[in-house]
Amino acid sequence: MLFNGMSIAVVFVLLVLITIFMGVKIVPQGSKYVIQRLGKFSRTLGPGLHFVIPYVDMVAYKVTTKDIVLDIPSQEVITRDNAVIIANAVAYINIVSPEKAVYGVENYAFAIQNLVQTSLRSIIGEMDLDDALSNRDAIKAKLKGAISDDIADWGITLKTVEIQDINPSPTMQKAMEEQAAAERGRRATVTRADGEKAAAILQAEGRLEASRRDAEAQVVLATASQAAIEKVSEAVKNNELPVMYLLGERYVDAMKDMSTSPNSKLVILPGDIPAAIRALMGGVMK
Amino acid sequence: MEFELQYWHWLVFGMVLIIAEMFLASFTLFWFGLGALVVAGLMGVFPALPLPWQLVLWALSSIVFTLLWFRYLKPLMADKSKAGNASEAIKGEVGQVIVLPVDDKRGVVRFTTPLLGDDEWPFICRNTVALGDRVYVTDISGNTLIVEKR
Repeated sequence: MLFNGMSIAVVFVLLVLITIFMGVKIVPQGSKYVIQRLGKFSRTLGPGLHFVIPYVDMVAYKVTTKDIVLDIPSQEVITRDNAVIIANAVAYINIVSPEKAVYGVENYAFAIQNLVQTSLRSIIGEMDLDDALSNRDAIKAKLKGAISDDIADWGITLKTVEIQDINPSPTMQKAMEEQAAAERGRRATVTRADGEKAAAILQAEGRLEASRRDAEAQVVLATASQAAIEKVSEAVKNNELPVMYLLGERYVDAMKDMSTSPNSKLVILPGDIPAAIRALMGGVMK
Repeated sequence: MEFELQYWHWLVFGMVLIIAEMFLASFTLFWFGLGALVVAGLMGVFPALPLPWQLVLWALSSIVFTLLWFRYLKPLMADKSKAGNASEAIKGEVGQVIVLPVDDKRGVVRFTTPLLGDDEWPFICRNTVALGDRVYVTDISGNTLIVEKR
């Protein structure tokens, strides 16, 4: 009798021990437990200490409610102007309703990775290369809007998507560098041509100015000669003998110089010196 | 019986269980330890208590302690932080409508402090709202808030 009572007591103690041990659940802050009652969703346990009915309730999933950093693998994307760029991103998601996340989709991380990848491809596909390279914020905003409704059923919020790298493919990069170099070269050529043009214009202007001054100088000289001749004519008037004398003297001097010069010994003397001088003087002395 | 359980056996057993709780951190053995201490107290009063009764009393007192804990003491343990608990952190927050929902476009509500890293959120509201209305968050669906007018 006592022995029977003893065995009942021991089994009862074991039962209580196991029941309490199975029933008390401690959920750490930052995660939630999804409880199923006989295969059906029953409730979600928040952080803290909870008692679930053993044998009936079981913890089906343990879900973190901290932000999850998802790496979106890099992929080749073709822009609207047919350039290939390589883009990768990182997404920050938060599981707001654990029950939707575990029952709504088989593998939420994989699902969101693929969603972001395909959306990124379509968004960059609508942009030109230059826009895609410089408009990260626009890409981010569009991406957030594009997948927001898709992930609503999974109880997940996309906090942010950051485009990590967005690089043109190697051939594209080479072409872009060549384009930049050509552009610089063009600018250098234009600058040089501009310089040459300016120099030529300045030189021409210089020549023009010089010619103008030369012409002015000739005019001045002619005016001076005119004045001198006028003065001589004024002085000579009708009195031609002194002039004749002076010219004759000069003529004889010139003959003398000619005869003493070393290179020519042939001296031609005019027969009639006064006539020669008259000829020199034109029709002044008749 | 050669071996007679004394009250101090229960006492030691109870304290050992309470110590074991520190290493297990499951918050279950603790109640059994307290139960053992109760049995030790009863043994001090009635030394002739038969062993099966001792065991049954131990189990019952453990159950009572567990129930008492969940009934009276657990509600006193308020959440001290909403960190890592997005849905609880966001529900009940009050914001102001800055863009009205038109046809197929969602409205935008702005909060004074950022919620989940953003201070402007698209929202859906069942009843009509006007610009500048104060609305509070009831739920979140993807990147859209479900709000109600105050």
